[in-house]
Amino acid sequence: MKLISRKTLLLFFLPGAVFMGAFLIYPIIIMLRDSFYDIGITGDRTFIGLANYARAFTAGGFLKQLRNTLVYIALAVVVETVAGLIFALFFELNYRGSKIVRSIMMTPLMIAPLVAGLIWKLMMSSSFGIVNELLTRVGILSSSSDILWLADTKWSLIACCIADIWLTTPYMMLMILAGLQGLDSGMLEAARIDGANMLQQILLIKIPNIKPVLLTALSVRIIDAARTFDIIWAMTEGGPSSSSETLSIVIYKTLTRYNQVGYASAMAVVFIAVLVIFTLVFMQSLWNPKKKLS
Amino acid sequence: MKMSIGKRIGIIASIILSVFWLFPYIYTICCAFKPGSEVVAVPPAFFPKTFSVENFSGLFERMDVWKYLFNSLSTSLISTIIALVLGSLAAYAIQRSGAKLSILLVVLVLCLKMIPTSSISVPIYGLICDLGLYDTKIALIIVYAAVNMPFVMWTMLSFYEGIPSTLDEAAYIDGASSFQTFRKVILPICAPGLATAFIFTLFLAWNDFLLSLLLTSMNAKTFTVGLAGFLSAYNLDLGPMCAGAFVFSFPVMVLTLVAQRYIVRGMTSGAVKG
Repeated sequence: MKLISRKTLLLFFLPGAVFMGAFLIYPIIIMLRDSFYDIGITGDRTFIGLANYARAFTAGGFLKQLRNTLVYIALAVVVETVAGLIFALFFELNYRGSKIVRSIMMTPLMIAPLVAGLIWKLMMSSSFGIVNELLTRVGILSSSSDILWLADTKWSLIACCIADIWLTTPYMMLMILAGLQGLDSGMLEAARIDGANMLQQILLIKIPNIKPVLLTALSVRIIDAARTFDIIWAMTEGGPSSSSETLSIVIYKTLTRYNQVGYASAMAVVFIAVLVIFTLVFMQSLWNPKKKLS
Repeated sequence: MKMSIGKRIGIIASIILSVFWLFPYIYTICCAFKPGSEVVAVPPAFFPKTFSVENFSGLFERMDVWKYLFNSLSTSLISTIIALVLGSLAAYAIQRSGAKLSILLVVLVLCLKMIPTSSISVPIYGLICDLGLYDTKIALIIVYAAVNMPFVMWTMLSFYEGIPSTLDEAAYIDGASSFQTFRKVILPICAPGLATAFIFTLFLAWNDFLLSLLLTSMNAKTFTVGLAGFLSAYNLDLGPMCAGAFVFSFPVMVLTLVAQRYIVRGMTSGAVKG
């Protein structure tokens, strides 16, 4: 029996679809069109085919930013996953007050990325930053101006990664914790009786069994890291000399500072295409839409 | 029962870790309550030497705090309600239609959810200017609602899925119309799902920086953009900035603690059920 008539379903569906169509899908189509044009500041447009795309992939295009984005993703996500896993294993323990500690750990979860960026910019300042001061006191640095986190082309991207890691490791921890708590306790009991030690339990039982959760969390984080804008903008605005410029930043800059709508569109199209393909491939292996809908 | 040594080490480690992790935030709060000169003192100290609210008065002097906070709050609340109403209805239609097309739509929703805001900033800026909405709250409301709607739909899809369609059937036999079924039967069951979607969407809009930076200049500026103004190259007011970061984030942290259940569910939904 068909419960709800097609008409009613359409009535439910249309308002949202029209809204999204007008303000999300339509702009994307416009962008796709614009990417084939050279658009001047006055709005005059000439069709130039794939020239914008060609420009993006040649030297002086966005290859450096692409590399920066990949480095950023790799560094941030790997550290977050490892740290999140370690945290989750600690926070899995139940004791009096464990819930409170867990809640406290979760409070930065929803802080604005911009605020995180600003906080770290303050802390990583070379003269009055607390990070270098602490590193000097511990003896890692000989003077607090040894590492110019935000002004040195070697460190600026890493500095942004550190802020990202601080902000999102609790998310990783939360996901892994949820996975760990969903594990069959009988399985762990059996392993313990068979004489598996703590490390064996973690490496051979816990980690393999939370693989689906781990992979989902990874894919979400990889995409989020690729999209990062606020943190980097707050800390360095992509500088110095575009050493911390990622794709998000360069697209925004090309639009607002250099006013090259066509070229910015072409880079954005490539960026979106890569992320969508990544999502589909990743989700395909984890998630079967047919199964989900039935 | 005596605790094993391993467990005791674990407990201590977890407490040390959380204190360590909260360090940047505690430091910001400390800085907010320092006198302005102490924030940029060399060498920096962790705790304030003298307690002061100078930074807060500086913040209110240099920035129209109430206006920006009101802009942030009104745009994020209204856009969240729009996204929630339209998104939950559309997701219900997609989930219950059972048509082949719906699989395609689900994938489309997922793809839209993944799109980086920075990359669609280009056409959205053009669209808003064409509509004559630049620097208005309406522009922010529309764009936030549109950008966050795929997220609402994605969350709601997984909730609807858990409700057996026999329930719709029962309501139908009892003479309820489709809309009544949705409002009186489905929605109450989905209340936790709606709460999850609500709080997440609200935070996403409240925390937004990029769109507000792009689409506003004076009137509709939100708090995040105002806050970033303290750190521009010609203006280094770190004390008021810390105070602002505190004012802006404190409600978020409180709400995070209160609504923790929904936040955890929102983050892990789909992942654990897989």
